[in-house]
Amino acid sequence: MGIAEMIETIVKIGFIIGLTIGFFAPMLAWVERKQSAVMQDRIGANRADFFGFTVIGLLHSLADAIKLIFKEDFIPRGAERALHTLAPVIAVIPSLIAFAVIPFGGKYTLWGHEVNLVIADLDVGVLYVFAISSLATYGVVIAGWASNNNWSLLGGLRASAQMFSYEVAMGLTVIGLIMFYQSLSMVDIVAKQDNFFHWGIIWHWPAFVLFLACAVAENKRVPFDAPEAEAELVAGYFTEYSGMKFVMFWTAEFIEMVTIAGLCVALFFGGHHVPFITDAELAGGFSFLGPNVSNLVAMLIGVGVFIFKLVALLILQMTIRWTMPRFRYDQIMKLGWKMILPLSLTWIFIVGVGILTGVMPSP
Amino acid sequence: MAITVKKVDRNVTMTLWERSYIPEMTRGMIITMKHFVVNLAGLALEVVGGKRHRKIMTIYYPEENPVIPPAYRGRPALVRAENGQEKCVACGLCEVACPPRCISIVGGERENGERYPVSYTLDGSRCIFCGLCEEACPKEAIVMSHDWKNLCEHDRSKMIYDKETLLYPERNLKKRLNVIREKYFNAKLYHKPSEKD
Repeated sequence: MGIAEMIETIVKIGFIIGLTIGFFAPMLAWVERKQSAVMQDRIGANRADFFGFTVIGLLHSLADAIKLIFKEDFIPRGAERALHTLAPVIAVIPSLIAFAVIPFGGKYTLWGHEVNLVIADLDVGVLYVFAISSLATYGVVIAGWASNNNWSLLGGLRASAQMFSYEVAMGLTVIGLIMFYQSLSMVDIVAKQDNFFHWGIIWHWPAFVLFLACAVAENKRVPFDAPEAEAELVAGYFTEYSGMKFVMFWTAEFIEMVTIAGLCVALFFGGHHVPFITDAELAGGFSFLGPNVSNLVAMLIGVGVFIFKLVALLILQMTIRWTMPRFRYDQIMKLGWKMILPLSLTWIFIVGVGILTGVMPSP
Repeated sequence: MAITVKKVDRNVTMTLWERSYIPEMTRGMIITMKHFVVNLAGLALEVVGGKRHRKIMTIYYPEENPVIPPAYRGRPALVRAENGQEKCVACGLCEVACPPRCISIVGGERENGERYPVSYTLDGSRCIFCGLCEEACPKEAIVMSHDWKNLCEHDRSKMIYDKETLLYPERNLKKRLNVIREKYFNAKLYHKPSEKD
């Protein structure tokens, strides 16, 4: 690996970490407060001010961070100290590294150097995502067990059962898509969605609905938040967490939201592609700026479009979270095993028949 | 009065369309999104235009004050007549009517033979803002004012109001006075015991 590639990778990692932890995590904390408030005919948090400037409540995230940094880091008596400390880290890491294979742009040639806007162009990108997302279960289960608290343990148990069930269904919802694009690489899948009529959402919208349901269930957010059900289990698996460890669980949740949105964008919404405009046409439109600058402009537009789609899907997830009531625990399991799993198997069959008969032209 | 009961059918059988969850979920999300968009547009217009166009009823309290309706019962106040003297004649009816017994009056007589309260003490920490003193008063001398701010104290001894604190000029209490005239002296509104009761 040359120096240039090393620098390029570090810049890309920095960009993704900045985007998820630096931008989306605090912004989503703000959006969660504000969107829910406006949706429910309220105003929402707007009192934290900095020399009289409230900035529509944006400073609440900052104030929260300052408050939580100085809070006591409490470990309950009888808890497994090492695992109790390790659990939030295990929860946060998989959600971050799953983003490594999600392309946030295409391939561009800038001043003779080829830039591929994905941290790791893995041939088995989709499999990698599922492998990593199953690791996230450990953080939750360990947190539930190590806290020496009945609520936590119950939350951890529920989380393990729920995440295990929905992982099966989630993997199967994407099989149809993999058959359609004939590739496991995220970069390939995105590249094949250059034409608007090959977008995943056009051909695979039932898979999108099922995938989003499974992804939200994996993320343990409402309506699938039985593991942390505040009305039943206090706060579920993170009952005994305080201070920055508590923040880490929340950050993990928010980053996972971003990852889910990124996955949906890459698999179903054509990644960085602008509808009806191919990459070549986009770069060609700015050809009067010279080949390098036009590629750069196309790259920036691509990343902007990706982030736009990401934000739209995040708003969709937030809307789901603030509209749906929580499922009962048996309903969650029933939905996972008896509804989504057979439906996704049926969808695989339909896609198979469609590809064989030529109704669904594979790009 | 008969209480109307809305009967809810708890054995609703849902159609297949409703049980398939996704359409009904989408409908719910459209409702919440509609609220979101309408309220957001209203908030944006408020920032630009300054006028309130939204369904949000929240009042930014210390900066804004709620609109007090005329029939509001705030802290009781003694009416100071035009001549500068209190209307109260120290008859003690309010003292008797007061359920938590927060009023204590020491009556006296002026040189011209009129009775007046030498001291009129109202314990704000005990007052329940029921308005019975106002109802009992034959002279319209005590009314519930629209005073609702800063009634709380850390020290209960600061909440015992003396006569000078309670005295309000009559023109400040016009709204409430009109209300009680309507309420207690208007034959139409006066509560007539019927056979039903």
